[in-house]
Amino acid sequence: METFKIVIAGVGGQGTLLASRMLALSAIEAGHQVKIGETYGMAQRGGPVMSHIQIGGEAYSPQLRPREADILIGFELAEAVRRGVTYLRNGGLAVINSRKFPPVEVTSGMMHYPTEAELLALLGEVTDDVAVFDATALAEEAGDPITTNVVMLGALTASGSLPFTRETVLKVMRENLRSAYFDTNVRAFELGMKGFTDSGRR
Amino acid sequence: MSSHTVVTNQPGRRTLLMGNEAIVRGAIEAGVSVATAYPGTPSSEIGNTLSRVADSAGLYFEWSANEKVAFEVAFGASMCDQRSLVAMKHVGLNVALDVLNPVSLRGVKGGLVFVSTDDPSQHSSRTEQDNRWLAKQNCVPVLEPSSPQEAKDMVSYALDLSERVRLPVMLRTVTRLSHMRSDVSLGAIERRDREAAFDWDGFSYRVAGFDKLFKRHKERHEKLDRAQREFEGLSFNSLELDGGERLGIIGVGFAHNYCLDAINKASIEEEVAHLKLATPHPLPVELVSRLLEGVDRVLVVEEVDPFVELHVKALAKDVAPHVEVLGRMSGHLPREGELGPVTMDGTLATLLDLEIFKESRTDLEARAKDLLFDRMLTLCAGCPHRASIYALKKAVQAVKVDLRGVVVNGDIGCYGLAHAPPMSFEDTYFCMGASIGVSQGMARAGVDTIAWIGDGTFFHAGIPALINAVVNGASIKVVVADNGTIAMTGFQPTPQSGRTAMGRPAKRVMIEDIARAAGVDSVEVVDPNDLEAAERAFRRMLEVDGVALVIARRLCATEALRVMRPEKPVPLEVDSGACTGCRICLSQFGCPALVWSDLDGRARIDTTLCTGCGVCAQVCPQRAIGIREV
Repeated sequence: METFKIVIAGVGGQGTLLASRMLALSAIEAGHQVKIGETYGMAQRGGPVMSHIQIGGEAYSPQLRPREADILIGFELAEAVRRGVTYLRNGGLAVINSRKFPPVEVTSGMMHYPTEAELLALLGEVTDDVAVFDATALAEEAGDPITTNVVMLGALTASGSLPFTRETVLKVMRENLRSAYFDTNVRAFELGMKGFTDSGRR
Repeated sequence: MSSHTVVTNQPGRRTLLMGNEAIVRGAIEAGVSVATAYPGTPSSEIGNTLSRVADSAGLYFEWSANEKVAFEVAFGASMCDQRSLVAMKHVGLNVALDVLNPVSLRGVKGGLVFVSTDDPSQHSSRTEQDNRWLAKQNCVPVLEPSSPQEAKDMVSYALDLSERVRLPVMLRTVTRLSHMRSDVSLGAIERRDREAAFDWDGFSYRVAGFDKLFKRHKERHEKLDRAQREFEGLSFNSLELDGGERLGIIGVGFAHNYCLDAINKASIEEEVAHLKLATPHPLPVELVSRLLEGVDRVLVVEEVDPFVELHVKALAKDVAPHVEVLGRMSGHLPREGELGPVTMDGTLATLLDLEIFKESRTDLEARAKDLLFDRMLTLCAGCPHRASIYALKKAVQAVKVDLRGVVVNGDIGCYGLAHAPPMSFEDTYFCMGASIGVSQGMARAGVDTIAWIGDGTFFHAGIPALINAVVNGASIKVVVADNGTIAMTGFQPTPQSGRTAMGRPAKRVMIEDIARAAGVDSVEVVDPNDLEAAERAFRRMLEVDGVALVIARRLCATEALRVMRPEKPVPLEVDSGACTGCRICLSQFGCPALVWSDLDGRARIDTTLCTGCGVCAQVCPQRAIGIREV
């Protein structure tokens, strides 16, 4: 197979790392090779974070080339667009949490957060295949906003683009997440699948 | 969750490991019995993983006081025929260099491998120093893995090599490798419970004789020659000569990945010969010569400095003078900074005149950059360092009138963010412990200073400098930002924590006891979250005629949240009737939990971030911030 390439964009503390680990473990479970490249530098909570995931095929470096990702997963609106304009391939799929996590520069009133329309217009120059929905609201509905990452995982699975099945992802989640939170996580996963379908994938 | 996969004894199983975890797995498979480290990005996960699994893996692990001590502990074990591993970030080796030199001269008994995690483009460092030069200076063989799998396998090989040639061996990683994750096939864990016994013949002046042991420069060179002969046929090195002769490429360690991806992308496998080089030092000259003989140009691709490039250039002069050696020295790759797919593609496109890599989205990316904000680094919500800096600033204002009445010499850690707005109250920081040293030179020049140093850094390298100030009567002022943990690298314990890296209870060594024992004239401990008390303590410190030290002690806010789980903090609230919208809390204090609301022109508190520390309530001149009425 050709290498399947995913970019995850978000801010520190959103659990992007857990999502990329679940995807990578699912890939291994399905018999594929996998690589994750992380960019977090000195980012503590609230700093920008990005993961590059490559599944299968012949890939060596953990860093993706620009314009080659098949899928962009945006845990945060602005970060999704920041990374998407660079890394998403033309016509690739973008799955985006519409929730905004403004940085201190914005919350303290020094800078403004662009509107959703302004941001998505930029991404629109790269692809028409965009699914935007409030994943954090769905995570709250599942019982804990911390499960936003699992909501995103569910949405991605619903897209049908992944080289492994829903059952594989659930199996990996069951084996690797704390059992006390498993039910909440499964609810979040299902809501994510529904969130993707309902988004209408503009 | 099940126990960590780095300790499962399932040979052949494929599992997901981070580069740093794979190094730990390699050490466990190869029977390392003593492991030591000092935390520092991007190396810290090596020690973090070891501290979790040391007991179940049946090995000893410690966070040592600094890298030099870490190295010495490992060497002591090696002299007793135990296998040891030491991990540090690149600049840590500067601290350990004093002991690396005698270790390499005298040699080792049990295999000794030290991991240097270099940081190209200084993602989390003050420099992008290339430690291969230090290995060369000390005749140390270097292995550079290209993947987590190789990192794991190389630890085992490096330990064998170390015992065969009786030299310490450096495993050099780069940030991208240390932090990447990939599937790794596990090997068998071999329990080699060697008898621990001091090697009298190898190390004792009494037994072996001083003359035999002392001058060893010649032996060290011969050992390095043996390592070189081994590297000529090492399977981690591989030469692909079936390509054409348009270009030869040498990809060193991790950088080899960029070469392979670019070659595949451009479909030029038939047009280039390439050498994957895992052993930059000593250079396997016969292997490299075989590549040089078949090409007119060779491009050396390596992280940070043109180390291999320089050696290949020297070699080519003797064995293949017609070959042009290209790389970071020749300007075909950038002289500084991390390489990556884009850089590599560009260089190949230029050298081979390829059209394939020339597309770009420069215009779109520029417009996105214009529209988007940056996310600057900032101290966390509720961070006690923010309170310390705020109180210190007030004290300096009161005593010196002008905030430039002192030079604030900072140090290495989270608190180094004191330079960032809105605090902007730090002038310098250099290397571990330097705040106390450089302040003394400034004092000699008649310049008033404050040394601003963290608890972890104080223990690592601050103590000798403090004693120096007392003995030589340098009237310096020291503030220890004591948040009870080495927070920036992942909350490792300090000597004050009362527990070891393996979770055993430990004696607590207190900073105030050390300062008093060193003869510091005035020592105070204060809670920075009590702003008035902290300001008064800092004012007294500034007025002491002699060496004065204040410990601003309050547990790291992030660590405090973790400790209180599952309890959650009670957030504060702004009384929007009392708030006048003066913005002092935002412009002078700037906790991320404080939010400006354009709707009513008032400050608000983000209840998901607020830790309830109550410091902003003391900052507010209107007393408009308080605990939420239930």
